[in-house]
Amino acid sequence: MALKDVMKDIEGYTRITEEIQTLRKYGSDFTDRKGEVERMMALLHPKTVPLVVSEIVTETESTKTFRLTARGGHLPPFQAGQYINVFLEAGGVRTSRPYSISSSPTQTGYYDITIRSVADGFVSSWFLEEARVGDAFESTSPSGTFTYNPLFHGNDLVFLAGGSGVTPFMSMIREVACKGLDRRIHLVYGSTDVKDIIFEQELAQITQRHPNIQVSHVISSPPKRYRGLKGFITAELMQELLGDLSAKTFYVCGPEVMYGFCRAELEKLGVARRKVRTEVYGPPRDVTSQPGWPGDVKAGDTFSVKIRGGRTIPARAGEPLMVSLERSHIVIPALCRSGECSLCRTKLMSGRVFHPEGVKLRKSDRQFGYIHPCMAYPLSDLEILL
Amino acid sequence: MPVYDAVVIGAGNGGLTAALTLAQAGKKVLLLERHNIPGGCATSFVRGRFEFEVALHQLSGMGSPERPGPLRAMLGEMGVLDKLEFVEMENLYRVVFPGTFDVTLPTNREQLVKELSLRFPKDADGLSRFMDLVYRFSMEMVQGLFFHDPDISREKYPVYFTYAFRNSQDVMDEFMESPFLKAILSVYWGYVGVPPSMLSFGDLAIMLWAYIEFKPYHLKGGSQALSNALLDKYLASGGEARFNCAARKIVVDGGAVKGVITEQGDRVDAGVVISNASTIHTYIDLIDRDAVPASELDAFKSHSIGPSAFTVYMGLDCEPADIGIHETTNFITTTVDADRAFSLWKTMEQQGWALLTCYDVSDPDFSPPGTCQAALVALQYGDPWYAVSPQEYADAKYRYAEGMLKLAERVFPKIRDHIEELEAASPLTHLRYLGHPGGAIYGFDQYAKDSPYFLTNRSAIKGLFFAGSWVGSGGFQPTLTSGRSTARSVLKALRKQ
Ligand SMILES: Cc1cc2nc3c(=O)[nH]c(=O)nc-3n(C[C@H](O)[C@H](O)[C@H](O)COP(=O)(O)OP(=O)(O)OC[C@H]3O[C@@H](n4cnc5c(N)ncnc54)[C@H](O)[C@@H]3O)c2cc1C
Ligand SMILES: Cc1cc2nc3c(=O)[nH]c(=O)nc-3n(C[C@H](O)[C@H](O)[C@H](O)COP(=O)(O)OP(=O)(O)OC[C@H]3O[C@@H](n4cnc5c(N)ncnc54)[C@H](O)[C@@H]3O)c2cc1C
Ligand code: FES
Repeated sequence: MALKDVMKDIEGYTRITEEIQTLRKYGSDFTDRKGEVERMMALLHPKTVPLVVSEIVTETESTKTFRLTARGGHLPPFQAGQYINVFLEAGGVRTSRPYSISSSPTQTGYYDITIRSVADGFVSSWFLEEARVGDAFESTSPSGTFTYNPLFHGNDLVFLAGGSGVTPFMSMIREVACKGLDRRIHLVYGSTDVKDIIFEQELAQITQRHPNIQVSHVISSPPKRYRGLKGFITAELMQELLGDLSAKTFYVCGPEVMYGFCRAELEKLGVARRKVRTEVYGPPRDVTSQPGWPGDVKAGDTFSVKIRGGRTIPARAGEPLMVSLERSHIVIPALCRSGECSLCRTKLMSGRVFHPEGVKLRKSDRQFGYIHPCMAYPLSDLEILL
Repeated sequence: MPVYDAVVIGAGNGGLTAALTLAQAGKKVLLLERHNIPGGCATSFVRGRFEFEVALHQLSGMGSPERPGPLRAMLGEMGVLDKLEFVEMENLYRVVFPGTFDVTLPTNREQLVKELSLRFPKDADGLSRFMDLVYRFSMEMVQGLFFHDPDISREKYPVYFTYAFRNSQDVMDEFMESPFLKAILSVYWGYVGVPPSMLSFGDLAIMLWAYIEFKPYHLKGGSQALSNALLDKYLASGGEARFNCAARKIVVDGGAVKGVITEQGDRVDAGVVISNASTIHTYIDLIDRDAVPASELDAFKSHSIGPSAFTVYMGLDCEPADIGIHETTNFITTTVDADRAFSLWKTMEQQGWALLTCYDVSDPDFSPPGTCQAALVALQYGDPWYAVSPQEYADAKYRYAEGMLKLAERVFPKIRDHIEELEAASPLTHLRYLGHPGGAIYGFDQYAKDSPYFLTNRSAIKGLFFAGSWVGSGGFQPTLTSGRSTARSVLKALRKQ
């Protein structure tokens, strides 16, 4: 006998069917929830945010701030320290770059991004030289986890910034200042030269008005007779500036070389790993000098990448696979471009790639042959599934 | 565009097993997933040096290789067992009422009864009779239903027919006095999302029985390993999959499915669509209103959207034992009043109820050496989160997480000092990653009226089928099984044509 027929004999069956009949008289058929999920997501995490440059401010010789406002609609909120990945076309190539938002989350009308041009920088130079007020972009919604977490970061924060790595801290500092929060912050900010310091005046003003916020500049190649702090952010310097470190949480953001350096210095000081937060900062300048890079492959070696069911494209060993794809006008989803968010996750059908240390692959993704092309460097001919 | 035998929408548990079963039967299948990774709930994410398990706490129905349970048997049939390594948990669970009562239940029935009898001597006799009932019920259900006894009847299976729809609280009350004992035995109500006063005895009994008989499991690499293995097998069986590719529309003509239009605007022709998305999204968002049969909308009216979850994922820089974590599964509760705890699921108030799972206790390789991770989870409805403005969302999330962490600190006072990574996920997080209204993780509320007896995986629209939590029970084993059985219905329907 089929279940349907015997079910009626289960004690309580009639009661339940009656209940169902009653509910059918009064219940909702959910038609009023049409589009609800999409609407909810659009508020917090829309897939893309249409933006327009409304203002450009020159910060230093090599740095500009771009104020981005919404092209219609609203801007999703963000937490200080988060970034957006900006999609654009430069030199005939569609690509994207993540930039930390430097404005305060209390400013809900715009996102500021502050970009320093790097040597041979493809997108940064485009921004500094070509971008104009009125240019339109799309970006991802604000993302990233380099943010203050009240559950375990405590109230005593040290920000170690290098160069343009000051941008997320600027957002955090502006927020604390604007909301009058009692978090104590000491920003230790390394720049190459005095003239490279970004936000110098505003930081000076904030520290004057807010005794809980302190800023120390450290200059690595100072002008003659410079009287401020010189060199790098070393253990000695931190010890001197910061005193008792036991209750402090450290945040580090800056060029790739800074992480290794600061981590080692903090370790010397006995700072526990859990007390150190670091932001990702994109692919390394020279991947062949990363630990684990195989000696027999040169940065200039070129391999062919076959896309299952599609074209075959060339890819240089020294460049992330995502960039090679973009050069061949194949755009895959991207967010962090630093190997950590997994949005670009792609199946490798054959061949070998190099992932620098710190790329956050899931264990089973490794087992089943997935790669993060934004930080995967070809070591042989490849076949991938898109 | 080629023509497919079937399009599967959604690569959650149900979608994956449905797609794989069809591909293995030689059908031409396209799997569409809006997210960039398979699994739906069954996934993980990486923060720092930790890979956080999103959903799986205790996998049911596995059994050992020597004595396989239904899930192990099914995964074996699908050929994915060799890629996976399962870890048996030592104990069933620990229940702590902070400062009041603390007990750990072994997975062995006799030992479990012995332990609880020692702690509740007055109820010893009632407890042992209650466990007898749990077992008799489950045996009858297995015999009569799972093995499809053609002579199933009330006379042959009296316990099953009497108790299936009774509420668990009443049944427990008939056998035992102590509210603590009853709270401990029914603590899995938090896995179903229905308090004992409304939870079918059948659901509670079969769950207790199955976890005791087949033991709770986890697997190396977490639930993502399972999702990856299923997808891998599916691709190897000739299946095609597209990620970052939501279905935007199901094309229905003359009462029958014709195909699917993707978010990129491609039209894919197919006579069969299996939706692993919510039935609500499927009928309300994906199909033109005039093509949805009135009967389907009418059927919605007896259901309500089920709970989501709030989870605090923590990476800790110590071994579990360093902070007093000795069990994988720790239920922490401040009350024996489940109805009250449940009523708080629709609010932003703290529930005083949470589950802390530390996988590293049963699998020391789960996290890097010298570390462990703890997932602190409580069910909660999406409703109160809908009322939070976007600007206040982050603060609200931290506040709720803080309350849960405080509860955990009552049992593990040093936990906060070891947090290296912490991520909180709210019902809106699940809404975002699953696309389900309310962020529901078990589909509709799971009262007796919403049980599989009263649901169907087949639509009145010809060629449209469902798999997953919205047409049956939520949870891993039920949804994995649901996909397979839906695929079988599809194969049968295709053979008839
Ligand atoms: C989370 C995060 C936040 C960040 N925040 C900031 C910030 O606030 N401010 C800031 O200034 N920077 C920030 N960065 C760094 C920023 O994303 C860029 O890496 C930086 O602007 C340099 O990019 P680039 O294109 O100029 O240089 P690169 O991308 O490093 O380019 C290097 C070389 O690659 C070549 N190249 C790269 N892509 C292509 C392509 N598609 N086609 C052809 N050639 C190519 C170029 O010719 C060049 O020689 C952040 C990075 C991350 C990950
Ligand atoms: C925090 C948490 C804890 C849990 N704990 C447990 C536990 O301990 N034990 C247990 O057994 N269960 C547990 N569960 C529940 C279990 O994970 C789920 O019930 C089960 O995984 C649901 O599977 P499903 O088949 O219904 O698909 P879902 O996981 O709901 O996935 C549906 C899929 O469909 C996709 N989709 C939706 N709309 C579209 C569209 N238009 N186009 C394409 N794709 C679409 C979604 O992106 C998603 O991938 C937990 C869940 C969570 C979140
Ligand atoms: S874009 Fe984030 S991992 Fe590649």
